[in-house]
Amino acid sequence: MTIDIHTLVGAYVLDAVDDIERAAFERHLRECDACRIEVTELGETAARLADNTWSVPPPWLRENVMTEIGRTRQAPPAVEAAPVTRTAPRRRRFAAAAAAVVAAVGAGSAVYAVQDQRVRDQRQVAEAARAEQARVRTILAAPDVVLSRQDVSTGGRVTVATSRLHNAGVVMLAAEAAPTGRVYQLWTIRPGGAPQSAGVLNEGQAADVVVLEGLPGATDVGVTIEPPKGSATPTLPLVADVKLA
Amino acid sequence: MAERGAGRRPDHLAAVPAVGPPPADAGDLLREVARGDEKAFGKLYDLVAPRVYGLIRRVLRDPAQAEEVAQEALVEVWRMAARFDPERGSATSWIFTIAHRRAVDRVRSEQAAGERTIRAGVASVDTPYDAVADEVNGRLERQQVRRCLDDLTELQRQAVTLAYYQGHSYPRVAELLGTPLPTVKTRMRDGLIRLRDCMGAGASA
Repeated sequence: MTIDIHTLVGAYVLDAVDDIERAAFERHLRECDACRIEVTELGETAARLADNTWSVPPPWLRENVMTEIGRTRQAPPAVEAAPVTRTAPRRRRFAAAAAAVVAAVGAGSAVYAVQDQRVRDQRQVAEAARAEQARVRTILAAPDVVLSRQDVSTGGRVTVATSRLHNAGVVMLAAEAAPTGRVYQLWTIRPGGAPQSAGVLNEGQAADVVVLEGLPGATDVGVTIEPPKGSATPTLPLVADVKLA
Repeated sequence: MAERGAGRRPDHLAAVPAVGPPPADAGDLLREVARGDEKAFGKLYDLVAPRVYGLIRRVLRDPAQAEEVAQEALVEVWRMAARFDPERGSATSWIFTIAHRRAVDRVRSEQAAGERTIRAGVASVDTPYDAVADEVNGRLERQQVRRCLDDLTELQRQAVTLAYYQGHSYPRVAELLGTPLPTVKTRMRDGLIRLRDCMGAGASA
């Protein structure tokens, strides 16, 4: 590879080249394995910059796009060398997990609201759900928020956000389904104390968002698989043990 | 700690979306989309649209145009799905590359025509669900990107962000920064390398 072409890797990946340079660079890529690897890796990095741009599209965009694809023919698979695309050396399932977490914000809130208020009217439930969501947002938006993530050994991930400022934390679990007839249970572990239950998920429920007041004193958030309705003490092993900073 | 006992949700109070297993990842969905599965495309849309739209909007700055270009980009994802090669990259990266190129093409063609218009006003309409989605997802992912960008030297950061978020070509970035061309090219590359190392380390934390 020539020095000149190689230094173009960054600009190419950032789409900061013109069409002629792009074509020349892609021609070169077909013959340069090392360049291709670098482009794939840095391309993946550049794509992560899109994480920084979350903006909710107008609701009608979905309908427009779905209508449009309904009348758009798909191209057949490439026969020749495919255009250069970018690669992910590392697994990235967080977006999917986060989507589940989002769905769970609503569900978790309703569970919370229902437990606290039992049978009241729907509007109050919705209000409590909103309050819970507001609390989640407040904690996540705290200037001192610290995020800790841990894979769940049986699949999925648990994320814990803690804020000393608010003396609270948010546990977001997005796991694979628990074995049939078993449920997930969350625990907090404090220095010198027995693990305390921080909530039991329903059967079939693999994602949840839980606000834990007073969490910053704890050293760990644990996840176990338990019989329905949960246990008084954790059934070992923990499927996730998130160490809090 | 909140008193939050065993989760019992009465059946008659299913006011909110039921929680199932986490959705499939973009790669799985894209494979189904390649076989013409419109339902899978709907799921893929939900997964990536806020970033596709957000990225394009960031580059174009005009919500109305961003909407138009986002639609083009997402339809292109549908059209070209069979050309996606998992050996050569992740599905999300492939999708954002399409989106970013579309946005950059639009910006450049407007700059060339000297008619860059910035129409303000037509803001996106947030539903409550979307607002939460935005906050939770955005907060978690933005944090790492921002932290890693802060980790770059000033010149690296400027070079990378002027190109990626504003769609400038590297000669234009050099001009804006008053920096020689070869330096800008180098900073883009070593800036990305540093970002890669930072994000890689963060992701496994």
